[in-house]
Amino acid sequence: MPKIKITTFSLLSLLLALIFISGCSTSAQVQINSPFPTVVSKPKLVKAAIVFSEEFKTYIASPNSKTTIDLGNAQTELLSNAFAGLFNEIEFVSAAADVTFDNALVITPSVQEVQVSTPSDTYLNVYEVWIKYSLDIQTANGDQVDSWFMPAYGKTPDSFMLSKTNAIEEAAVIALRDAGAKLLLDFYRIPSVYNWLITEQIPLDETEVQ
Amino acid sequence: MNKLLALCAATLLAGCGATTTIDEYRPNNQIMDINSEQSVVILGRRDAGHYDTDREFIDCVASKMKGADIGVFPEQQFVDAIYPWFEPRTAPKGLKRLRRLMEDAAIKEQIERNGIRYLVWLDGSTETHDKGGSISCAIGPGGGGCFGFAQWDKSSVYEAIVWDLTNLTEKGRLRVDSSGTSYLLGVVAPIPLLTPVKNDACASLGTQLKQFFTVDQSE
Repeated sequence: MPKIKITTFSLLSLLLALIFISGCSTSAQVQINSPFPTVVSKPKLVKAAIVFSEEFKTYIASPNSKTTIDLGNAQTELLSNAFAGLFNEIEFVSAAADVTFDNALVITPSVQEVQVSTPSDTYLNVYEVWIKYSLDIQTANGDQVDSWFMPAYGKTPDSFMLSKTNAIEEAAVIALRDAGAKLLLDFYRIPSVYNWLITEQIPLDETEVQ
Repeated sequence: MNKLLALCAATLLAGCGATTTIDEYRPNNQIMDINSEQSVVILGRRDAGHYDTDREFIDCVASKMKGADIGVFPEQQFVDAIYPWFEPRTAPKGLKRLRRLMEDAAIKEQIERNGIRYLVWLDGSTETHDKGGSISCAIGPGGGGCFGFAQWDKSSVYEAIVWDLTNLTEKGRLRVDSSGTSYLLGVVAPIPLLTPVKNDACASLGTQLKQFFTVDQSE
């Protein structure tokens, strides 16, 4: 059996190699801790009940086997804030059965899919996150108004000096902010929601930003 | 011998200078009206698919402008204060859309409360191209070192558009073009000779913007 001579230099090299390899870890458990700003918007004279189910409030996305993103708290905070900018009377409930409003919209958001792309997937120098929401919109009587698909997208400016976890968190925060922007910009442009407003004779603000 | 070395070093360093051009356009020669309670906000365009105007460059230009007693409102603070109307999806690309936004009383009030008088849009990026040469480094029990030569070109192109948020008009445009070549020499130790292309673009644009807000062009 050949003799293996272990020197201080070999041990040092091995230690350095281990440090480098551990830096290449590909798994990421992302927790969104960033606060979100309050929306600047004049709500319409519409009543709405928002159903945030337990599943939605505690949602943890697993876009691939090595990545998880804890979106529950952040998306609940962001969408609560965004919906408050759309409706002048609003209630948040955990189930549609708990809604107390009459003549109101009942909106149940859910996450359809979360996708992540990293520089090693795309050869681009950015991390990207897509969150695909679906808003189930009904009247308080249970009539279906629409099921609205709401995609949101976020990317980091670059990947320089960012750990995978921090980069995915940054991209996810930008995607959540994008979801809030899309909701405020497009909600009243949904034809079926617009038609419901007309039917219910709810006044449309003339100075609404289009 | 020392003189020769100094000459060689000076020649090498002279090759690391960036070439920068600034173009300025103003629709008229009116003085930019701004008082001590008003401020300017510098925002980066982030709606292009293939690049983002980086925050480091925005911060750099903002720091160059601060020297002239011009209040510069922090970019992220402005974007948060007026959320979600200056997100990549919703930010106004032209004056027509800005006028529509300012018709919203809540948005206008927020801008006035923060004392924002002018908005400077910065759009552009710094790119590396024409890479050449090669350098290799090795390490062994007896020591290590690098050998070779590498070079690359960098170019920075940025455009600044100034909007007046009171009159809702465009006050002018500035464009900076900066380019230069950087080198890496491998002579046992790697010796970088870097051309500060982006810094040059930032310094030139920041200085020009500062003059834009302070110099009376009608004189």
